[in-house]
Amino acid sequence: MSINLFRRHVEFRQDQIVLLGMRVLAIAIIMLIVSLAILLFKLSLPAISKFGIGFIWGQVWNPISEEFGALPFILGTLTTSFVALLIATPLSISVALFISEICPKKIGHIIGIFVEMIAAVPSIVFGLWGIFSLAPWIQNSATPFLKSTLGFLPLFQGPSYGIGVLAASLILAIMIIPTISSFCREVFRTIPLQTKEAALALGATRFEMIKITILRPSFSGMIGGVVLGLGRALGETMAVAMVIGNSHRLAISILAPGSTMASVIANEYAEASNAMHMASLGYIALLLLVVTLMVNGLARFIIWKWSPKI
Amino acid sequence: MILRKLKNYLFLCLMTLSGVAVLIPLILIITYVIKMGASSLNWQFLTHLPKPVGESGGGMFHAILGTLYLVSLGGFMAIPLGVVLGTYLSELGKGWMATFLRHAIDLFTGIPSIVIGIFAYVLVVVPLKQFSALSGGVALGIIILPVVTRTTEEILKLVSNTTREAGLALGLNRTQVIWHILIKGNRAGIFTGVVLAISRAAGETAPLLFTAFGNSYFSYGLMQPMASLPAQIYTYATSPFEEWQRQAWAGSFVLILLVLGLNLSTRFFMRQKS
Amino acid sequence: MNILQVKNLNAWFGDHHVIKNISLDYMTNTISAIIGPSGCGKSTFIRCLNRIHEEVPSAKATGEVIMQGKNIYDADVVSIRKNIGMVFQKPTPFPAMSILDNVLIGVRLQEKLKKARLMDIAENCLQKAALWDEVKDKLNKPGTSLSGGQQQRLCIARSLALNPPILLMDEPTSALDPIATAKIEELMDNLKKEFTVIIVTHNMQQAARIADFTSFFVLGDLIEHGPSTEIFTNPKNKKTEDYIMGKFG
Repeated sequence: MSINLFRRHVEFRQDQIVLLGMRVLAIAIIMLIVSLAILLFKLSLPAISKFGIGFIWGQVWNPISEEFGALPFILGTLTTSFVALLIATPLSISVALFISEICPKKIGHIIGIFVEMIAAVPSIVFGLWGIFSLAPWIQNSATPFLKSTLGFLPLFQGPSYGIGVLAASLILAIMIIPTISSFCREVFRTIPLQTKEAALALGATRFEMIKITILRPSFSGMIGGVVLGLGRALGETMAVAMVIGNSHRLAISILAPGSTMASVIANEYAEASNAMHMASLGYIALLLLVVTLMVNGLARFIIWKWSPKI
Repeated sequence: MILRKLKNYLFLCLMTLSGVAVLIPLILIITYVIKMGASSLNWQFLTHLPKPVGESGGGMFHAILGTLYLVSLGGFMAIPLGVVLGTYLSELGKGWMATFLRHAIDLFTGIPSIVIGIFAYVLVVVPLKQFSALSGGVALGIIILPVVTRTTEEILKLVSNTTREAGLALGLNRTQVIWHILIKGNRAGIFTGVVLAISRAAGETAPLLFTAFGNSYFSYGLMQPMASLPAQIYTYATSPFEEWQRQAWAGSFVLILLVLGLNLSTRFFMRQKS
Repeated sequence: MNILQVKNLNAWFGDHHVIKNISLDYMTNTISAIIGPSGCGKSTFIRCLNRIHEEVPSAKATGEVIMQGKNIYDADVVSIRKNIGMVFQKPTPFPAMSILDNVLIGVRLQEKLKKARLMDIAENCLQKAALWDEVKDKLNKPGTSLSGGQQQRLCIARSLALNPPILLMDEPTSALDPIATAKIEELMDNLKKEFTVIIVTHNMQQAARIADFTSFFVLGDLIEHGPSTEIFTNPKNKKTEDYIMGKFG
């Protein structure tokens, strides 16, 4: 039974004052959180009342005519996040397995630190590298390769300037690998040694042991990690803003420039031309907030339900 | 049998490849930043204000100081608050307020930093009708608070019951047990959480874009817009001027040194302790 | 002479009645042991004597525990603990504190004393806890750098620093190796010259070795209480005899 010092009736005068102070502080923070939500809503109200729910599939974003629709940005967010997840998930799981199962402990520990350092690199530095190093590489090396192999797909059509949805997705993938792989490592760590040894004792190869004793039981845990990665990808702003090209047009090709919900706010908010522009950006922020909360809530639910040891 | 062995070998190769592949971007980025940044880094960069466009020279002195100022401001507001809240959540535990607060603060760590910027905007910039260092500090504070709160709560929850009981058995009141035994006793872990929160806040750009906004000069004023290293890098990086782009790299070099330095030092510090 | 009187003590965890109407007296400058099979409420009983029992949510206690003429259940819970100290089963030196700080923390936070006086108290208590010779040259080292047995003696010294007339010990040697256990049993004989000790132990032989009086509990009831020599050689109650002979427990 655990003891929390303030759970029982507190007699001593000083303790009562301290407890009261803490309670007041807690209420103040709760009120602050609630008022943040309300203020954001108030900011977006003009846009919400003018465009309603149709904002979500409105395609036009024109500050001058005050016509605003968020579809290009929603699609941009979804595309970049989805492609990033597609690339990052297998890599993250592989890395997690590599570190925990294949590497000698010390080297694994060091590689683990390196992977976590990726998470510590500021987003803007990723963006800078993206503009000057990754984008030219995409334009000069990756694009010709993609076009020659998969160029028949509408996904890879159109001119490429390096900057665009592909660049943003690649950088996002790099940025969410630490999130997913750290979580998967935690999940893998809960598998007891005896189970793994039992599989090997039955004559399983290393791969088979990993498949049977680690991957299969950890499946839902890994899903939780992936959803966590998704939550991270949805909110990533600066690196994406710097390499995605900031176009408001809908495009199918991932070589084309685009925008995400986060990047459009970053690019346009400070110099929003009129109140409706700002309200619409606020509306986008509201949508982004809701989506991120739902995704993160979902991740936590999955973790709570299927990997409670974490 | 051979098929199994082949599959095994293939799998192990793929795993090793991916393990190495994941490290490549990190190595690329860091070497690139060092290569591009270190060459542009000089004493003038660190100590001078920016020069007008077209002129060479000048530096990011104001931005470096600005980051230190804004992070300190945010930390000053958020760190004591975070430790107190973390203690409250650990020592009170149940009750609808504590549960709500715990979940809300946890969710806050997942909120995109640009949305946090908007929070700070509506909270501070709108009433004051101007961009200000204060709003930037508030934005960073909102980023720092959940991290410190959660770290403190986690650390205090690890303390065994017997330690609390031993403190009470000495005739100490609860406040004394909390402060002298729990918090002072675990200050290393709490400090680590604080340093990690600060290193994260120092690298943030998005929340400052429309709060502290940016400045070509250094001002001490709480109510004035203020430059920061990440925001300045952003402005320069997205500009068409080569001189500014060079300085963006130098700035990134300084920023990476700061952030990774803080991050790695906590690992080193924690290893020393245990 | 009576130093502590327990009258009709009852204790619960939620609905679970764990201490059933126990009355007992303790004499000054004696060591009294409480023995009994697991789950019989010995720890709960002793934890009622300094009201630590109440800290657990859903715990409740009724009855009287009278010391120096006053019922501790009517007094301020923080102040009674200055007169009734406790040593726990798990040695817990406070984290990130030196040996010296550990010993003095209770005193420092409750009284304003000069540095010289504090050092005197520290040396005195560490002597009584048979730890002084081992730590006198490293008082500034962390408390956690000591071995298990030394840590427990540190905790004893820490409790002694407040000079409580009564010292409660809840299975203080269960977590220690035989050599460390022997050292603590040795020092307890010295302790009773100045203090009164009440010790819970699951080790009958330990009670026979060191205690003047022994109480035998089963499932929250006090079965028998008396001088140790009587309890162990000539118990009056059949259950006591069965337990001593190892027929259950």
